[in-house]
Amino acid sequence: MVFNTGAALLDAIVLAVVSKEEEGTYGYKITQDVRKAIDVSESTLYPVLRRLQKDECLEVYDRQFDGRNRRYYKVTDRGMIQLNLYRTEWKDYSKKINELFEGGVSV
Amino acid sequence: MNRIEFMTELAALLQDIPIVERQEAMKYYNDYFDDAGEENEHQVIEELESPKKVAATIKADLGIHETERQNGTYGEFRETGYKDTRFEKKDVPVGRDARNSGGEYGSTESSRSYSDTKPPRSNSLLKVLLIIAIIIVGAPVIIPLALALIAVVFSCMLSVFLIFLSIVIVSVAIAITGIVLFCIGLATLIPEIAVGLALIGTGLILGVIGVIGTIAGVRLCIIVFPGIIRGIVWICRKPFQGRAVA
Repeated sequence: MVFNTGAALLDAIVLAVVSKEEEGTYGYKITQDVRKAIDVSESTLYPVLRRLQKDECLEVYDRQFDGRNRRYYKVTDRGMIQLNLYRTEWKDYSKKINELFEGGVSV
Repeated sequence: MNRIEFMTELAALLQDIPIVERQEAMKYYNDYFDDAGEENEHQVIEELESPKKVAATIKADLGIHETERQNGTYGEFRETGYKDTRFEKKDVPVGRDARNSGGEYGSTESSRSYSDTKPPRSNSLLKVLLIIAIIIVGAPVIIPLALALIAVVFSCMLSVFLIFLSIVIVSVAIAITGIVLFCIGLATLIPEIAVGLALIGTGLILGVIGVIGTIAGVRLCIIVFPGIIRGIVWICRKPFQGRAVA
């Protein structure tokens, strides 16, 4: 990928991915989903999830799956507020960038 | 490297972070392996690269996180205004600072920034060099000193040894003197009876004292010498034992 993904954008992407699942989702699936959009290494996401959890944007709970306890992540109300903030910011940002990119004289 | 080896090494590398963080991280990666499935185990390990890298990533973020919280510069999240940072700080001991400012995630390029968060390499090489330097610099002083010390110890031992030996020799000498005096007394008995008798008496007394002294001295030596020899052996061995422990 040409563009670097900053910490805030990565937070936003993770929040968006987790918010897609009503019931919450788990680490491996989050990683796979995020990787559909951006190229991150597998070790990148744990710190992000942990930080979002500490900031109370995500909550975790364990649920039985396949005879073991699997950890699920779910977006909190605070997380939703944060995600919406990111969404509007991103809209604004991408619109400006798009205008710059597309507004010029095309060859 | 298989999953178990990977997790074991990761746990070992995370020894210096708070226990809660370690448990969380271990749980996450354990789940991760479970969810990836056995068939993907190798691929996951390859993707994660190494326990070192994973540990560095976890630690790097812990560091950044705390520092940013303490400095109050965690930009975006400030806008939602969380109040409980004071409580969450307890998770990490104060003073655990950021090791790296690796603010960018993801792309293979930026993942390189984690490489400089490797745990500090042990400075054993430095220690060895230091010891060699001390030996080289100190040799002119230490070697004569050591020799002198050995000489002092050795001479002390020898003198103790000789003191007991001299007791035996003196006793033997006294006994011989007694015998000689007895003989002289016998010889002088004919011209001068009184002097002869006195000499014989003195000779007998000295002879008896000498014999008793000799026997006592030899006995004493039998008791003391093994002790001294054991002492010498112990002293000689001590430096080597000391080195083995150090």
